[in-house]
This record gives sequence, structure tokens and C-alpha cells, in this order.
Amino acid sequence: MTSSTQSNQETIQAPCPECEAPVAFSRSPLYGEITECAACECELEVTNRSPIRLELAPEVEEDWGE
Amino acid sequence: MPTATNTDSTRSVQALIDLVSTPSVSGNEAAAVRVFVDHAERLGLEASVDEAGNGLALRNATGVETRRIVLFGHIDTVPGELAVEVIDGVLHGRGAVDAKGPLAAFLMAASDLTVPDGVAIEVIAAVGEETTDSPGAHFIRERRAPAACIIGEPSGWDGVTIGYKGRLLVKAEFRKEWSHTAGADPSAADTLHAWWSSVLNAIEELQPDPSTTRLFDRVQTTIQSSITSNDGLIESAGMTSGFRLPLEISPAQLESTIRSLTPQTIDLRFTGHTEAYKTKRSDPVVRSLSTAIRAEGGTPHPKLKTGTADFNVVGPAWDCPIAAYGPGDSALDHTPQERIDLDEYQRSIRILTRAIESLADELAMHEPQVGQSAEFRCAERLSRRPGR
Repeated sequence: MTSSTQSNQETIQAPCPECEAPVAFSRSPLYGEITECAACECELEVTNRSPIRLELAPEVEEDWGE
Repeated sequence: MPTATNTDSTRSVQALIDLVSTPSVSGNEAAAVRVFVDHAERLGLEASVDEAGNGLALRNATGVETRRIVLFGHIDTVPGELAVEVIDGVLHGRGAVDAKGPLAAFLMAASDLTVPDGVAIEVIAAVGEETTDSPGAHFIRERRAPAACIIGEPSGWDGVTIGYKGRLLVKAEFRKEWSHTAGADPSAADTLHAWWSSVLNAIEELQPDPSTTRLFDRVQTTIQSSITSNDGLIESAGMTSGFRLPLEISPAQLESTIRSLTPQTIDLRFTGHTEAYKTKRSDPVVRSLSTAIRAEGGTPHPKLKTGTADFNVVGPAWDCPIAAYGPGDSALDHTPQERIDLDEYQRSIRILTRAIESLADELAMHEPQVGQSAEFRCAERLSRRPGR
């Protein structure tokens, strides 16, 4: 889990919890939004909006059901 | 027929019990559709039955309707009537999980929630989902696309289904003049089994990623039945096989591959052509359900299903935000142990209510685009085209 914010240049970003690369948003992200880290390609979930907090998104599971 | 006893949940539990207590094997859903319509009307929804026999329940928008959220359940079940009873807070009965639990939860959520002006909520009780033709969904999908759709299938109260595999069925038959088994000629069964081996080899070459163990990404094959017969003059061998398909392989592609390696002496009949379909994890419906699950104290579990559902029928046609959700353990689908925990059912109603309210608010924030202002269209197509 990691967090950060909005700079004076109006860049909305937060560090990736896996590789610490900056993950940028074009607008204020929504709670629960899923995004991908461009550096390490892991899927991240926005778990707090202010300050932005990113956590690894839950793994997709498989199920045989109809 | 059991009756609900907990006064706080009587209405919602009774709706589920009444639906499960009314048999509705595919093709014979009319009585259960009437039960659905009766409950919808009692809940204040505008209920009707369409030409295909689907039950419809509409929560009209206040003001002019500009967007519609469709809660797409199915009311039919597989055969195999089971005793309907509530034991220790668990409802047993055919269809309790697949998919009257999710359908009843849709009905209750649609009647309870609060949505902004202009947003209508429609619950659909589709017929024929358990057949290869899925006639109810094929009829509905010709309508204008809604702004968003939730398919009613069991995902578990904390699960959200984001994709279903595709499917193809083939019935193969080979007939020949009977020959003695001590002779040199292969039997009809020998010939058909050799053909099946060549199909399996071709499929291994088709696998998009031979190294993956994830079933969603592989072609799965199953011999569903096989038969041989011999009347002393003609011997025949037949088999019906099923294929579960990943996103990368269409039913038409697989059919073409199989036809290309099949001698003309083997008769083939293909049915059940269904494309795999998957939405994005960033889809607004997925997000609203996941957020609601967290608000209810859970951790959302995104899921990919190796089966098929009406998700595959309406998803590609509507190309709108979509996910499948519903209470219950899908491992109990079609089994003699089919049952649903009533606490989980109630919890799923709360999650649906919260999710649909937030989704409706999000939709209402976007003004319809010029040229796209027709009712029910998704303003600005909130999500990008679902990934394939």
C-alpha cells in the first residue's frame, strides 16, 4: 500500500506499491477504480482518493460455473 | 411450500421461496413467470411478459427516461425437481442458486433503491437460458442497448464475474457396412476414435498459449456421449463432444478447423455456437459492485467462468458496461444439492442496492451525447469497449 498526490503541475499520481514507479491519472480517480502500472504492468486498485492510495488489485479467480 | 418467518426479511425471502417452489424447467417457465410478475407488481414495479415469454419488471424513471440499467436474470432451470425446504437458514430447491436467488435479489433491489431522475431500472426474468439456443436472451438482445447491465448468475456475495468462455458442440457419426472383427477393416468405432484423436491434436496446435494452465485461456474438450450400434448389416459409431473456447478462438474458427480434417464419410452437426466474452476490470459495473462488496465488509473476488451464460449473448450485442453477480455457490448449479444461504441472499440484496445506486449516480453525471441521446444509451459509453 502506498499513497501520494497532486503536484503543483496538476499531475495526479501515486507510486506503484510494487515497483514505486509513478502511476498517473488524467483526472481524479474513482474509489475502487482499477488501473495498471505502466512500468511493472501489475493491476492496482484505488482504495483511497485523497490522498490517493493504491493497492494490488485482487487476483482474478477461475470458476467452472455456468 | 415453506414460508418465511423472519419478519425483517419476510418479503424478500418469500419472493425467493415462491419462485423456487414453482417448477420452471426450460420450455415450461410460464407458471414461474406469473409468480415473478405477481411479486413485481406487489413491489410496485410495472410488470409484463414479452413475446418470447420473458418476465419483465420496470421501475420507471422519475421524469423523462434517459438511461436504463438492466438487471438480467433467468427464470428457467435444468430438470430434476428437489424438495423445497428451509433448513437452518438455508433454502434447498432446484433453481435456488441457478439462478432464482440472483433473480429474486434483483427484484428486491430494484424495488428498494433510490436513483436519480431519468434512470429506469428493469429486471428481466429470461426464459431458456439453460438450453443451447437461449431464446429469451436472443429475443431481448435485439432491443436497444441499456446504459449498463448486470447478469444474474451466482458469483458468491463477494464475487464479481467479468467473463465467460465460449462454446461449441459437435455431433459426429460414422456408418459403414458391417465387417467381422477378426478381419483387417477398422470398425466404425475405430474410425471415429481415430478422427477424434486428430481433432485433439489439431486443438493442441490451436491453443493460444500452450504453456498456460489457466482454463479460461485454453480450449477444453469433453466427450459428452458416445454410442455404437450394429444390426448385422450396418454398424455405426457416434459421439457428441463439447468445446469450451477462450477469447482468441471463435466457434466458427474451430468448426472450420474440424471440418478441414474430417473425411466426408463422417457426418458432422455443429450446434451451440457461443463466443467467449470478457469485460474489463475497470468497467463501471465491476467497480460499483466491488466497491459495494467492500462497503459490506468483504473483499471483492473478480472471477472468470469456464461455462457460458446469457452474458455471452447480450454482452457483445450491447457493448455496454456489464458484469455478472448473484448470491450462491455456482459449484451447486445443476446438482441435487442445490441450495442457498438466506443470509447471503439478503447480503447480496444490500450490495446490489448500493452498487446500482452508485452506478446510477455515475451515469446521471454524464449528459447524453448529441446523436446518442436516444433513451437507454450509455452516456459517453462510460467504459471503453470491453477487452476481447
